[in-house]
Amino acid sequence: MSQTIQHAQADEAVLIRAAQGGDMAAFEELVARHRDKAYARAFSILRNEDDALDVTQEAWVKIWQRLKQFHGDSSFATWVTRIVINLCLDQLRKQKRLQAESIEQLDEDAGGVERLMPVVTLNPTERLERSELRRRIDEAMAKLSVEHRTALVLHEFEELEYKEVARRMGCSIGTVMSRLFYARRKLAALLAGLKREEFI
Amino acid sequence: MTDLPTALKLQAHLDGELAPDDAREVVSLLQRDTEVRALFDELKSTRRLLAANEPEISLPESREFYWSKIRRELERLDREPPVRPPQAWGILRWLRLALPACAVLVLVAVMLHRSAFAPGPGSPLFAVGDEIETPLEELNSFTFRSESARMTVVWVSDTFVN
Repeated sequence: MSQTIQHAQADEAVLIRAAQGGDMAAFEELVARHRDKAYARAFSILRNEDDALDVTQEAWVKIWQRLKQFHGDSSFATWVTRIVINLCLDQLRKQKRLQAESIEQLDEDAGGVERLMPVVTLNPTERLERSELRRRIDEAMAKLSVEHRTALVLHEFEELEYKEVARRMGCSIGTVMSRLFYARRKLAALLAGLKREEFI
Repeated sequence: MTDLPTALKLQAHLDGELAPDDAREVVSLLQRDTEVRALFDELKSTRRLLAANEPEISLPESREFYWSKIRRELERLDREPPVRPPQAWGILRWLRLALPACAVLVLVAVMLHRSAFAPGPGSPLFAVGDEIETPLEELNSFTFRSESARMTVVWVSDTFVN
């Protein structure tokens, strides 16, 4: 028996089942609902609008092709985001922007500049509007190295454990811990308005 | 200044990734060392700040335009012929066809060689004493043995021979 779906009002599970059955209009609705999140995640890692658009479009094509593999073990949003992240990491590796164990890492292990920074007190919520705070966080994230930013995105926003971040980034857990530490310290300094020149 | 191993332990404690024994050690350290405490507070504040304020980034294209590009790509892939098998499979398939053909050629060559040295024109291809055996039919092999030429040829094929 055929069933007409009001896509815009339909429950996500209904849309997923319909799309798994080949209903492209249902898939379009799923894309519309999740496209911002997917793009935001790609942009937060790649920091390039065109690359983020290309990667997310490629991701949606792969998602359509693999829809039958989605069994609801995680939420659809999580499943989509993980596919986007994998494509972003592949893209960074192709561009040789992501190093498994970089020279920068060796420098950090020996005691990076961030470790010498004075500890700062962060309390920006008292002074800033939330949108302004988010904008400043975004700007600060853009100033981090690819390795630091990616570790931070995977751990803080995707809530992945050290082990899983290491697996995805192709490095050791120790490297993930170190990258996270320096990323947080640098971010704290940037958000506190400190400049690197002020403490080196 | 807090050393790196201690700093990483502090962070692991904050992220809930520290073993219970190490966690107790960190808690004790936090209680007695103000410098360690200050660093821990900074890491904690940064973590909280990020968790509550993930930057909001919106797609810079309209729904219709963005979808049209995805749909075009899906339609293009739909029109493409099925993906060819990997090259290794192609080689294996080629070998599967070529090996029996080579075996036939070898057999024919042997027969021609034998007939060239036959006693004279009109003599039968298989002299008295020659025989063909198919000891393992399920393996598609048969043996040609010629007593007169003191020669045995075994032909093994992976294709079924009627």
